[in-house]
Amino acid sequence: MKILIIEDEPSLQELMARSLAKEQHVVETASNYAEAESRLADYSYDCVLLDIMLPDGNGLRLLGELKAQDRREAVIIISARDSLEDKIRGLEDGADDYLPKPFHLAELSARIRSVARRTRGGGRRGITLGNVTVEPESFRAVVDGRELQLLKKEFDILAYFMQRPGHVIDKAVLAEAVWGDHIDQADNFNFVYSQMKNLRRKLEEAGATIELKAVYGFGYKLVCP
Amino acid sequence: MKLIYKIALRLSLFLLPLLTLWAVIFYFTMVREINDEADDALEDYSELIIMRMLAGQPLPKMNEGSNNSYSITGVSPEYAAAHPAFSYHDAEVYIPEKEETEPARVFTTIFRDHYGDFHELQVAMPTFEKDDLQLTMLRWLVSLYLLLLVITVGTTLWVFHKSMRPLYTLLGWLDSYVPGRKAAPVPNDTDIREFRRLNESAQQAVDRSEQLFEQQKQFIGNASHELQTPLAVLQGRLEYLVDTAGLSEETMLELSKMQGTLSQAIRLNKTLLLLTRIDNGQFPESSDVDIAAMLRELQQMYADIYSEKQLRFSLDIPGSFTQKMNESLASVLLSNLLKNACIHSRDAAQVSISLRDGLLEVANGGDAPLDATRIFERFYQGSKKEGSTGLGLALVRAVAGYYGMDLSYGFSGGMHRFRVRFSQP
Repeated sequence: MKILIIEDEPSLQELMARSLAKEQHVVETASNYAEAESRLADYSYDCVLLDIMLPDGNGLRLLGELKAQDRREAVIIISARDSLEDKIRGLEDGADDYLPKPFHLAELSARIRSVARRTRGGGRRGITLGNVTVEPESFRAVVDGRELQLLKKEFDILAYFMQRPGHVIDKAVLAEAVWGDHIDQADNFNFVYSQMKNLRRKLEEAGATIELKAVYGFGYKLVCP
Repeated sequence: MKLIYKIALRLSLFLLPLLTLWAVIFYFTMVREINDEADDALEDYSELIIMRMLAGQPLPKMNEGSNNSYSITGVSPEYAAAHPAFSYHDAEVYIPEKEETEPARVFTTIFRDHYGDFHELQVAMPTFEKDDLQLTMLRWLVSLYLLLLVITVGTTLWVFHKSMRPLYTLLGWLDSYVPGRKAAPVPNDTDIREFRRLNESAQQAVDRSEQLFEQQKQFIGNASHELQTPLAVLQGRLEYLVDTAGLSEETMLELSKMQGTLSQAIRLNKTLLLLTRIDNGQFPESSDVDIAAMLRELQQMYADIYSEKQLRFSLDIPGSFTQKMNESLASVLLSNLLKNACIHSRDAAQVSISLRDGLLEVANGGDAPLDATRIFERFYQGSKKEGSTGLGLALVRAVAGYYGMDLSYGFSGGMHRFRVRFSQP
């Protein structure tokens, strides 16, 4: 995918660019409103990552211009302001997603993937990796054509990993994503371990080709052959 | 002590010696005046007697209905030389007609007759009773003092209340003033210049503190916002490093710990932002939230998360209890209360949640009561728990404050009890 990153903080911009490039995306960057405007005037992209607080203008205006021109770019707003009004405003103005800072790179790539799926009209098909398919909308998981019986949390965990293949997922991040942000860093994560254990056993028994590998001390990673 | 009482007390204390002094002076002046009159009369009387005696006329009878009396005694020339020619003094004189002694003014004079013999004439005239006078004066004086006091204090009170009304208006306004809440301007409808200035100064002081309060709030908000980007960069780099594989287990473990600390910083920052937003009233939208259902859901979740602790939950919750409020704030309120109870419980301890007639109580076992005045403060932690932001109960208070709910803490039956009073549906 061809992605334009509009972000004024150089370090974050560079990091996002590097991380997305590693996932085989074509990445271009803009550091301010004017630069972003001229890039968007000259080229077209599949996805635009838009920081709404730019030194020389509000990103929401840029979004408005894009939508007024009826451009096909998917837009993900990236904002330091994690407020509902901003989020609602952004989505109402036609953004495809809203990602508050600070975010995980794995989260960013998952959002890009999901936005891309939606714009391609394949949102209902679910995500397939190896011989495993999950359909988040219908809470169905299928391995090798046979439906896999999973508990709610097990399904949530599997869906979360399927959207972030190859990324090491911190157990705390996983806990937060699946159990909600009521989890604290210092909490005991044994409840995550037991769910993971069951999920891995079920995947193995069903003969899944993907594997949830434990990364020592950190968490897990979905590996697809 | 109220100012008016102080003034009344001082006035009465000031009047007391003043009136006493005045009474003393008045008394002595009066006595002198009376004595003067009596002395003149005595002198006239003695002249009459002496003239009659020298003229050889008969002396007046002892009693002429006037109670005056006199006596003439012969004295030696030496006596005459040793005593003044005339003198006055007060004495008790026996009056035979009345058969009693009475206070009298006595005039003594020495004169010579034709034969060169010296005679001493004593003329006495009953006058007033000093004791009676003193008593009467005292009585009148006390009455005067009381009368003056009533009039003075009464007048002062009236004048005081009339003139000090702006002060009490200002005090009333200050009492009702809460920093950070939009307040009506200081009432300034007086034409007394001092009070006008006082009101203006109060307004300025309040404006200044309001401004500082606002700045402080904004500062926390801005600082938290500004921190978001560097935190995002740090987190991203850490993640990138972990994803890029080829790291030793030891490095991974170290990175995991860094990630943990960083997550804590991010959480702290997010919570501060949330607090700021609640304080700024940025949660206007509200809906009917089923508190009972939310409690059940959260309890189930925390039972999962803290399954390790094997807490014993007891729930006493109605089937449904709806409350009109912002859903995410409701979640903040309930989850922080429940979480607080879970974190600060020992293993296998009791956590009871009850919701009856709109009163929610979350209780967990404990040894000693906590400082109820400080427990809802930001960063106040009775006992430091690793990973706890110290903002959970501050959030609870902020949400309760936002909706004007009554929030209280108590300790009874070996349980910490946090209570929230919802408004009845």
